[in-house]
Amino acid sequence: MAADAEEEQLLLVSSLRQWDSWKQLQREEVALFSTFGVLFVTMVFFYVVIRVAFRRKVSNTILLVGLSDAGKTTLFYQLRDGSAHQGSVTSMEPNDDEFILHSESTKKVKIKPVHIVDVPGHARLRPKLDDFLPKTCGLVFVVDALDFMPHLRSAAEYLYEVLTKTVVARKKIPVLLACNKMDKITAHSTDFIRKQLEKEINKLRLTRSAISSADVTSEISLGVEGEPFKFSQCVNQVSTAEMSALNGQVEEVEHFIREQVKP
Amino acid sequence: MLEQLLIFTRGGLLLWTWQELANSLKRSLVNVLIRSWLLEERAGDSCFQYADAATAAYTLKWRFHNQLGLVFVAVYQKLLHLLYMDELLENVMREFCLVYSPRQTNFPDFDDTFRQLLKEAEANSKRKGVAQQNLRKGLEGKRHVMRFEGKGVKSAGKESNEKTSSGGDDEADGEADSKGKTFRNGDGGKNANGSHLSGSSSYSDDNDSLMSRNSHETAFDVSRLQLRNSKGHGKKGTTPLDAQNSSSKEDVGKKKAKKNRVWGDAPPPSKLDFTQPRDEAVQGEPNVAVVVDQGLSLMDKDEEDEDDFQVDLEEYNFTAKGDDEKKVPTKMGWLSSLVQSVAGKAALEKVDLEPGLKVLRDQLMTKNVAADVAAKLCDSVAASLLGKKQGSFTRISSIVRAAMEGALLRILTLKCSVDILHDIHQAKEQGRPYVIVFVGVNGVGKSTNLAKVAYWLVHHDVSVMMAACDTFRSGAVEQLRTHARRLQIPIFDKGYEKDPAMVAKEAIHEALRSKQDVLLVDTAGRMQNNEPLMRALSKLINMNEPDMVLFVGEALVGNNGVDQLTKFNQKLADLSTTANLHLIDGILLTKFDTIDDKVGAALSMVYVSGVPVMFVGCGQTYTDLKKLNVKSLVKSLLA
Repeated sequence: MAADAEEEQLLLVSSLRQWDSWKQLQREEVALFSTFGVLFVTMVFFYVVIRVAFRRKVSNTILLVGLSDAGKTTLFYQLRDGSAHQGSVTSMEPNDDEFILHSESTKKVKIKPVHIVDVPGHARLRPKLDDFLPKTCGLVFVVDALDFMPHLRSAAEYLYEVLTKTVVARKKIPVLLACNKMDKITAHSTDFIRKQLEKEINKLRLTRSAISSADVTSEISLGVEGEPFKFSQCVNQVSTAEMSALNGQVEEVEHFIREQVKP
Repeated sequence: MLEQLLIFTRGGLLLWTWQELANSLKRSLVNVLIRSWLLEERAGDSCFQYADAATAAYTLKWRFHNQLGLVFVAVYQKLLHLLYMDELLENVMREFCLVYSPRQTNFPDFDDTFRQLLKEAEANSKRKGVAQQNLRKGLEGKRHVMRFEGKGVKSAGKESNEKTSSGGDDEADGEADSKGKTFRNGDGGKNANGSHLSGSSSYSDDNDSLMSRNSHETAFDVSRLQLRNSKGHGKKGTTPLDAQNSSSKEDVGKKKAKKNRVWGDAPPPSKLDFTQPRDEAVQGEPNVAVVVDQGLSLMDKDEEDEDDFQVDLEEYNFTAKGDDEKKVPTKMGWLSSLVQSVAGKAALEKVDLEPGLKVLRDQLMTKNVAADVAAKLCDSVAASLLGKKQGSFTRISSIVRAAMEGALLRILTLKCSVDILHDIHQAKEQGRPYVIVFVGVNGVGKSTNLAKVAYWLVHHDVSVMMAACDTFRSGAVEQLRTHARRLQIPIFDKGYEKDPAMVAKEAIHEALRSKQDVLLVDTAGRMQNNEPLMRALSKLINMNEPDMVLFVGEALVGNNGVDQLTKFNQKLADLSTTANLHLIDGILLTKFDTIDDKVGAALSMVYVSGVPVMFVGCGQTYTDLKKLNVKSLVKSLLA
């Protein structure tokens, strides 16, 4: 009997021990599972947060660039308010606003607003362009079709500078060559302007590449070697349009903007 | 009468205009103002004067409202010196800001307000004019008393015009400045109409101050006499009497040839002239080593650009400086400035900006920027910051520094591209050589840097020819000949004692005939106030119409550099016979390696002339020619 009792006791103890250790194991398991669970949840949480925060935001910024007196500020106010108001003078600062295009403000559908920046054309303020380029999804290069030939060289140089910026080439930002002041009779045609600009840029390309690497302010080379330059050779899409900012004939530009900023 | 008043945003949109007599809107005039003055960091000046051959001369005055980003510009005829303009602009600014809201673009009600303000201002000025006339009549007899109180009378008479209190110095400075700043090679400077722009940084002249002007003239008579005397000594043959004297002296001199002093009994040597005759010299020259390749010119090497260009926001503890406490009327204690930097302030005032600006001005001057250029820059920065809201957790010193940095970058950024190779190619297409003339005062390094430029061009497959138009200095022609031999390029020279203009003309013909791409013309050094020499230089430039006139200036120069550049430009403009003014097109800064970080001369020259720095010479070998690195320059100026 005593042996039985002892056996029983032993069994009890051992079973207790077993149960104890099993309990401990369970506890450990629970702890382990819980740590894993927490880790997993945290990871999932961070993943989601990072994806949400850093996802490539579809930018809605359009830049208006061009020489002084091309009509950028007029175009800006035309797009925003539908009228050029009382006119404009040389801009000293960029005009920066986010709005729904005036022509579309009558639509009942909810449209995504467009962020348009009018960069001053004066040479001294040109570095401001670099501040806005990273977030751009489209660029409108405004050209004065009326007073074109005297400023051909400066316009070509500016356009060349814009097309050879790394940001523009890397993100393949589409460029619209908007020929302004087309309502005047003596304004040049879009084709003429395009051809002239191509010729000038070709010349620039040759002289700039003749200089060694340091003189080249641009970071990439344009076009195909040996062939005359054409806008179709650019990595990014370059298209042309006609408009008259003062009279409100800006439909082609609006069409371009809508293409870039999907509603 | 006030012709026009315009209100527009800094972004360029016209908000409100007022024209008298239904004139056409002078928008082109305002554009000229913005492009050639305000964007050139001259916003600190009080007014701008525009003179055109076609239209009448106008004066423009402006005011900024930095918080709302508005600009107020008043246009009136230059002949009418309207006193009430400053007061009117202030009132208009005040009233308009009450009406203004960001999205609004039409202000029809403001017309009535403005008409009222205009009437008030005109009435005020008439009243003041009458009062001054009475004053003048009463004090006419006591002129010698007025001499000592001249400054006092002036300031009493013009309360509205605060900038006049510094009196006669400003008048003299203003005249010199208005002449000196007349000719700059900006956008407006090369107008086809031949219009020229001049700005005066002094107070506007006014008819009512006849009394005070008289008093000033009597007060400064002595000093003017002294000036005149000193000038008389310097210039040769200014008066007929002097001319007679000098000519008679020359005659006497010719009769009595100088006899050499004889020491002891030794017979005088027969010949003291040891120069070799020309044909001997040619044969006797040693073999000059031909320079084939000394490596890439520094123009072609990329300078290490610092991508993260952050200005170090150093702490300027301006309240601790002793002299600041004396000059600044309301001193800000340490605690109050701390509180302000944390809490921010609604609108910055002049007294707030004054200490920070003073520090910056002193800093610029220690970096060898000319004194008045530094002062004008600080004024322009102050004008752009007045009334701006100070955000919280920002110190005034950092705001001022950031604004100054922006202003410096803007000034030094090229207004138009300086692609010389492109221009050369264009000239080549037209079948003519591209002519570059090097001008400057004595000893700045024209000939040395001409050789460096030639070396750089040769390395870019451009055929270069030199023209030795320095026919005065002994050894100049030989120096260029040595360079030409080393670089293996042709040289055109006619020896010494020849007319430089004719030599240049023949050199251009020669370059045209031998189909050279570029012709580099070396001229003799001359001081900027030497009238006959400047006339000769002007003749050379007018006769030959070079494509580029390069002013060579050394980086070691101090305040005199500004004077050199302005006088050169002025003389070139004054003495040019053709309708097209050909002014200085570029600056070549030499001896840049001799200054460690005192790089201010570059800034002064660019600010004063508006012309870009094409090259920088930084040594005496052929490869020591580089481009101006704007970012590093600004960094060393503000460091």
